[in-house]
Amino acid sequence: MGMRAPLKSVRGLGSAKEGTTHWWYQKVTAIALIPLFLIALGFFVSLVGAEYTHVRYVLGQPFISLVMLLLIGAMFYHLKLGLQVVIEDYIHTESTKVFLLLLNSFLCAVVGLASALAILKLALGG
Amino acid sequence: MVELTLPKNSKVGTGKTHPKPDGATNTKAFNVYRWSPDDNQNPAIDKYYVDLDTCGPMILDGLIKIKNEIDPTLTFRRSCREGICGSCAMNINGTNTLACTTGMDEVEGDINIYPLPHQPVVKDLVPDLTNFYAQYASIKPWLQAETPSPSKERLQSKEDREKLDGLYECILCACCSTSCPSYWWNSDRFLGPAILLQAYRWIIDSRDEHTGERLDNLEDPFRLYRCHTIMNCANTCPKGLNPAKAIAEIKKMMVERR
Amino acid sequence: MSEAYPITEHKYDVVVVGAGGAGLRATMGMAAAGLKTAAVTKVFPTRSHTVAAQGGISASLGNMGEDNWQWHMYDTVKGSDWLGDQDAIEYMCREAPASVLELEQFGMPFSRTEEGKIYQRAFGGMTTQFGEGPAAQRTCAAADRTGHAMLHTLYSQSLKHDTEFFIEYFALDLIMDKDGACKGVLCLSLEDGTLHLFRAHMVVLATGGYGRTFFSCTSAHTCTGDGGGMVLRAGLPLQDMEFIQFHPTGIYGAGCLITEGVRGEGGFLVNGEGERFMERYAPHAKDLASRDVVSRSMTLEIREGRGVGSRKDHIYLHLDHLDPAMIDERLPGISESARIFSGVDVHKEPIPVLPTVHYNMGGIPTNYHAEVVDLKDGNPDAVVPGLMAVGEAACVSVHGANRLGSNSLIDLVVFGRAAALRAKDVVTPGAAHAPLPADACDEALARLDKFRNANGDSSTATIRDNMQRVMQDDCAVFRTSKTLAEGVEKINKVWEQMPDIKTTDRSLVWNSDLVETLELDNLIRQAVVSMTAAENRKESRGAHAHEDFPDRDDENWMKHTLTYHSDEGGVKLDYRPVHDYTLTDEIDYIKPKARVY
Repeated sequence: MGMRAPLKSVRGLGSAKEGTTHWWYQKVTAIALIPLFLIALGFFVSLVGAEYTHVRYVLGQPFISLVMLLLIGAMFYHLKLGLQVVIEDYIHTESTKVFLLLLNSFLCAVVGLASALAILKLALGG
Repeated sequence: MVELTLPKNSKVGTGKTHPKPDGATNTKAFNVYRWSPDDNQNPAIDKYYVDLDTCGPMILDGLIKIKNEIDPTLTFRRSCREGICGSCAMNINGTNTLACTTGMDEVEGDINIYPLPHQPVVKDLVPDLTNFYAQYASIKPWLQAETPSPSKERLQSKEDREKLDGLYECILCACCSTSCPSYWWNSDRFLGPAILLQAYRWIIDSRDEHTGERLDNLEDPFRLYRCHTIMNCANTCPKGLNPAKAIAEIKKMMVERR
Repeated sequence: MSEAYPITEHKYDVVVVGAGGAGLRATMGMAAAGLKTAAVTKVFPTRSHTVAAQGGISASLGNMGEDNWQWHMYDTVKGSDWLGDQDAIEYMCREAPASVLELEQFGMPFSRTEEGKIYQRAFGGMTTQFGEGPAAQRTCAAADRTGHAMLHTLYSQSLKHDTEFFIEYFALDLIMDKDGACKGVLCLSLEDGTLHLFRAHMVVLATGGYGRTFFSCTSAHTCTGDGGGMVLRAGLPLQDMEFIQFHPTGIYGAGCLITEGVRGEGGFLVNGEGERFMERYAPHAKDLASRDVVSRSMTLEIREGRGVGSRKDHIYLHLDHLDPAMIDERLPGISESARIFSGVDVHKEPIPVLPTVHYNMGGIPTNYHAEVVDLKDGNPDAVVPGLMAVGEAACVSVHGANRLGSNSLIDLVVFGRAAALRAKDVVTPGAAHAPLPADACDEALARLDKFRNANGDSSTATIRDNMQRVMQDDCAVFRTSKTLAEGVEKINKVWEQMPDIKTTDRSLVWNSDLVETLELDNLIRQAVVSMTAAENRKESRGAHAHEDFPDRDDENWMKHTLTYHSDEGGVKLDYRPVHDYTLTDEIDYIKPKARVY
């Protein structure tokens, strides 16, 4: 146990007074992903074997692109939140942990934004 | 990284096999984790045979019989032998439970006994629970109220008292916390199921006036939110309590008060 | 000697040995009084045996009908078969309501009445109108886990008061000076085998009973009367050691406790002929007669061939006629115990039970301030400086020859608190400690060294088993001149085996083989004095039922037995008078009369 009082170690830096937002949004995005994913799935199944130009056209339709944008937003946010927990759970070397947390945030943001841009480009007729 | 394999000096070897007691026909084999800090050896599993015809029915009876008749150096904690003191918590065939309330007949084949997982071992089946106890102290497990106490008791309705059922019975045996993977990886910061159940016992007590402060103290990505509803706690609790439910109630309150 | 065993010295105003109900309550009060206090305990506080108390804690709150402390006092005196000291009993019963309310203020989760007050149930021997009225509902309960609720509450209070705990430290011996004052206590840390001398102006022994002298008892494995052992080795007496309570309802076979609260809630005992036999033995109180009476009745039924089971060697406790919802609310713990230890569903079947050793009325003699007393130069109330005892370890004596159910928990908190109040008066915080002679710890160390390296022919477990069987056979519910004489001889034979003891574990870390041996050394001394005191008392009183002297003999035996013990001289007997006065003039001395329930 070393020379420190156990209570000192247990109290650590105190309560962060947060975490509820993270937990809540993870639940909210999880719930949102269920209908969004089902709609997107139905839509992709219906497009099996379709022409490239047709797919581009459909993805540009307002309802579909809205669903896709929402799906991308919820999915990458959910992914970011989830991976963050995994990293916090299992990575205990402080420097590696911070690096991976940053990487997680950036990657989710970059890939998510890139996907959203692609949809927006189709929707806004680029 | 989390250590997914045991460190070198903790790898468990094969230990001594003690002979069957003379003339015993109805025996049960106990494979028991042994480690002593004295001899710089790795832990080992010793094998003992207990004569069931001259032994009480519980696993603790078997361990005591081994200590009395075969190997007095075998070390474990025990006290009440009726499941209320929480001393003899250990890992029996993969499940954390109390040796005194688990029957030998509940285990098919050999009985494999290890100390509670992921705690420092003092010797044999005796874990060091210092951190667990300090976590208990950190939640201030006493009644906090500013309203001057009446000359008689603080009144509490039967309904409000009923909310403490399933919580106050906790015996602090640490079976649940040491069965929780989240607690294995993060026991330095995650309070674990037992302590969160205790925290909820005070949060929900109608006589306590520090509900908000208690929630403040828990609202933390690690202290509370490392619980990923794995549910090992509820499965393993030898008193049949449900810490996971208590934690869920705390999380619900956290959202409610926003 | 002290070179081989380095000793770390700690200085405190007060050191409390034991962290059960009484120890924790004393510690808390001492700390609150501004005394530098250490609590030394061989098990983590919430593992202490108080945790196993079930039924409740007595106090005349009057939440369930009219009640007052005078009625409670009358019942306690009658329960004690007039051997209790009435000044102490008055103190306990008078302070009881405040002590229970204090526990409630600490947050103890008592069960509640419809009005939101503390729930109280009926218990054996508790009546109204000085025994003339109906049964009193005086026992405050938290379902059937009152001891658990109380111990956890007291532990949390001691956390609140930042108590200094030394957990898993085993007390070896008291350190006494040449004038007979206690100067501290020497302890062994289990974690690393180091020795610690706790210097203190007041040592409080809260070490519990010595139930494990018997083969079958409701007591925990840790109930080894370590305080009593230390006191005997210090040349001080133990009092009334012949009075050992058999709880009527220990689970047949396992010996685990089934609370008297079961009968308080309407359960009853039935013999092999299906008869509610307690109606014969106690027409008025029936199943709620006091424990000694019920245990004797059960033993008689079994002896006369009216037991149950294939060997007709136990009795049934029925609660299957009670409302299942009520059982689940008020008796969940024993339902669980009955299921685990006898495979019985209490909603449908009776529980097989047997009178089982449960409580030691005797112990370290104290006054009602918890100060240890000794018979010195003709003064039976001579205070031993620097030493207190509380709880089951002590003999105040409020329980006399027989304790009433639920009077134990109230004893713990009332006298734990009394000890703190007294210490506040007699100890000056921060006073300097006089230096001890260099050889002060030598005797204690020699004893430790002897057992640590003991290499005889009999294992600790063997000698312990011999002791437990002798006590079980010859110090039972009923005793006769013959069994007691044999018992004395046999228990002395066991005592003579002690030099031949063998320990196997030579480690210093968590050496439980050594600890069990040291515990046995405490147990065997108390077994010897208990048997000797029982053989000596030629009457029947309370839990001491002597078949050759079936009546109470107030003329010759209205006195406390004192027993001293030394390695060379064996047992020496003496007596202290029973206090035939009360504390105040609010109640008169309750004169002895026939004890019928």
